[in-house]
Amino acid sequence: MPAKQYEILALTMRYWFVLLILYIFVRSLVSTVRYLSNVKATAEESTGNIPFVLVLFALTAFVLLSLNGELDVLTLLMGILVCSTFLFQYLLLCYLFGGIDRYLLLMVDTLCIVGFIMLQRLQPALAFRQVEWFGLGSIFLLLTILYVKFFKHWDKLNYPLMIIGLGVLILTLAIGKEIGGAKNWIQIWKYNVQPSEFVKIILVFVLSADLKTNKNRLRRLPVLLFTAFVILLVVLQKDLGAAFLYFCLFVFLYYIATSDWLIAAGASFLASLGAFISYHLFGHVRTRIAAWRNPWADVENKGYQIAQSLIAIASGGWVGLGLGLGSPHVIPASKTDFIFAAICEEMGILTGVSIIGLYLLIMVRGVAIALKARKPGDTLLTMGATISLAIQSFTIIGGVVKLIPLTGVTMPFVSYGGSSMLVSFGLLGIVQGIAIKNSQRKQDKDAQQHYEEDEGCDEQEED
Amino acid sequence: MHNSTTRRMKAAMSKRKIKRNTIGVLLVLTALYLSLIAYFCYAVLFYGSRWFADSYNTRVKMDETNPRIIPGSIMDRNGVVLAETKDELVKNPTTGKDEKYYFRAYHNEAASVAHVVGFNHSKYGRMGVEAFYIYYLMGYNNSLIEKIYQKAFLPQERGNDVVLTLDFRLQDYVSELMRKQGKRGGVVLLNPKTGEILTMVSYPTFNPNDMEKVDDDSLVNRATQGLYPPGSIFKLITAASALENIEDIRQRKFNCTGAVEFDGERIQCYKGEAHGQLDLAQALAVSCNTTFASLGIEIGWKDLLKTGKKFGFNDDFLFSDIKVKPSSLSISYKTSKQEMAWTAVGQGRVLVTPLHMAMIAATIANDGVMMEPKLLYSVVGRNGNIQKQLKPDVYRKVLDKENAEVLKNMMVKVVLEGTGKQAQSNRITIAGKTGTAEEGSKDQPNKNLAWFVGFAPVDNPTLAIAVLLEDVGQGETGGTQAAPLARKVLEKAVELGY
Repeated sequence: MPAKQYEILALTMRYWFVLLILYIFVRSLVSTVRYLSNVKATAEESTGNIPFVLVLFALTAFVLLSLNGELDVLTLLMGILVCSTFLFQYLLLCYLFGGIDRYLLLMVDTLCIVGFIMLQRLQPALAFRQVEWFGLGSIFLLLTILYVKFFKHWDKLNYPLMIIGLGVLILTLAIGKEIGGAKNWIQIWKYNVQPSEFVKIILVFVLSADLKTNKNRLRRLPVLLFTAFVILLVVLQKDLGAAFLYFCLFVFLYYIATSDWLIAAGASFLASLGAFISYHLFGHVRTRIAAWRNPWADVENKGYQIAQSLIAIASGGWVGLGLGLGSPHVIPASKTDFIFAAICEEMGILTGVSIIGLYLLIMVRGVAIALKARKPGDTLLTMGATISLAIQSFTIIGGVVKLIPLTGVTMPFVSYGGSSMLVSFGLLGIVQGIAIKNSQRKQDKDAQQHYEEDEGCDEQEED
Repeated sequence: MHNSTTRRMKAAMSKRKIKRNTIGVLLVLTALYLSLIAYFCYAVLFYGSRWFADSYNTRVKMDETNPRIIPGSIMDRNGVVLAETKDELVKNPTTGKDEKYYFRAYHNEAASVAHVVGFNHSKYGRMGVEAFYIYYLMGYNNSLIEKIYQKAFLPQERGNDVVLTLDFRLQDYVSELMRKQGKRGGVVLLNPKTGEILTMVSYPTFNPNDMEKVDDDSLVNRATQGLYPPGSIFKLITAASALENIEDIRQRKFNCTGAVEFDGERIQCYKGEAHGQLDLAQALAVSCNTTFASLGIEIGWKDLLKTGKKFGFNDDFLFSDIKVKPSSLSISYKTSKQEMAWTAVGQGRVLVTPLHMAMIAATIANDGVMMEPKLLYSVVGRNGNIQKQLKPDVYRKVLDKENAEVLKNMMVKVVLEGTGKQAQSNRITIAGKTGTAEEGSKDQPNKNLAWFVGFAPVDNPTLAIAVLLEDVGQGETGGTQAAPLARKVLEKAVELGY
């Protein structure tokens, strides 16, 4: 299609995309509010036409992208691949597990699809790889669901997990590769893997397994030490985002489990002290802070990333410049850390706000599932996964829009990256696993009630 | 049996606690996300246009050989074209063919508006209106239908024309005056009722048609980007604060002995002259340092800062039309007595831009209401349809009418019988305040600043002015240097019908 015709098409279509994203967001919002207000409800509410709208969104976007220049059949095929992969994953999971939280799954898939579209526009080869990771991530999701649902004694694995976690981090420090200023990558075969992502899951399991039982502080010492070492190791790798994430995870989970203000406040104090010391000790921390406080003071060097990100967001305006009409390649790391700015530029700030809203709803639903869990261990596990996802997306989006200093973490489900995709789906698997357990319990209870009513017996049921 | 019940009760208790804490965490995380959304929207709404206009935004860079969009023209309020896009055929050195080459061409006398209009150059980037209004110039404000029409039916898209509130004749006149004067500095003339900027000159200047020979110093727009100690013109703020915070100030008599000491720091009047018995109006007229220094200490940092903030000090100045460096008034509970005394006479912890000082004079002239400075008169679309028209906005209500009236009369007195006598004109009535700020040291005596701020005509002010001259020598003051220049500018403006 000639350039001008494509421009006209893209200019018009941007309203359509914003509309669909907003529709999905509003429907999810309404459903989540309803879900929260009804204590007894499980997550099996009908999702209506959302899967259809999502497929429509993906298809139109890929068709539009394929029309840029010569008709690109590969892009069209990619669109079909994305839609079929999504539908297969969604329908299969819904079929396998009746109690799965469908809205949660759909919101995550919406984020993934927005990511695919943006990656296809930025670098088609990466989009294809990302769909592969999506497939692998879905398998990982399935495995975590099964693990959480059937494997009862995961606290027995605590010590092996702790050793593995420390081991890979020390290994990274020893033989790791430095990419983008942080030495947190290991090369396995031909893939670059980020071990600190996987340690996140380990940390969630270890912390919730340890915290679910009442112990005095001394007997928690191994886990406390483990957390401290893990944080120290990622700080040494210059991975400040991961350190912040681990820390938040620990403080929140510890507080939830023990209501122990003392340790939580003490940890916060230590963390601020650590931040203060590292500010004065490490140049890269100072650079980050300076770039955050005023990126315009040194636009050419330190502030370049953030300044370009802000310029891109402002150029997009509310509905964006139109897919393929902006220049997101100017933004550094536009495929990974700064993909939010690229999305805002071409798909609009309204899409950006909807994405933040979707992360918020994912968090709220996660917490709701945690609240409905019966065992304290399940509540903690779900909260760990939810907090981890919520803090990570907050950290990166906040960094990109200059609310907080930038730390290099990926945007869960959207940024390009295999480790991030797998781990994010793993965390989702934890939440979904508990959701399925909840709904099964409720079903059993209902069945029991029916049975009791039939028998005419009013014995108190035990919970 | 009993033991197991208590254990179960304990477990239930801890479960309830866990749920309660979970809800607490939910609230914290929700608050985080809501603040993220709120900040995001706030930042985009208030700073978005500035980010977009940044000269590092390559999206709006003009392509020289094959521009997708041809930027519109920039005109003054009478339609004089100050900048436009032109093209010419240039032989391509590699292919040997003639190719169209697009560039921005500026008015022949563009040096006089150079700082306001700025430039859009492939090598030197963008500055001034060329940068700040690139959104309009490149047609980003066009409606969807207009954009589609242009893409479908025009060979090249057209940006919109921007009409400024400047009067080129006045601008040229002031620029010429400044050139004759030969001192670096800035002049701002605006309409106190609407905030329209009629003239904004910075000297030295440059020729945007010939960017090869430009040095960095002449690129600075001193009117909006130059921060200077205000010297005695800051006494207007001190006087306003005194009027608001000290009850009997209008009846009070001061006694000036020519110098006063605070904690060992000696503050003198100009040339150590003792002014004797005088009231506030007389003190302002003769610009008595000792009176205002002691007034500053009496008012205290809190109230002086409050008045200063009302006048726009320490504010980010997020004006829609123009980028202005924030003026600073950095006093706090830590400020010592000596520093307070110096600040009250405009010599301590205070810095202003000429534009801001013009706004302060305009506020006093406009019954205490500060208007937002406006530079954009209108945006004209492809068919001459007006897409955006100047709409005066109140920036702040600074003073009540009564105090503004008192200050106004005091400023009249400055010109009639005080330091501003040289601003007197036989054609119009002018009110104002002079200032001489010391920036120099003993080695560089010619480094003082001369200020004049004022307004005219007195009974119905339609003009407010700020004049700043750098490199003023020993014995030269705002009264002798800046005041006559201001008078000439105001006379010319009235002659042109403003």
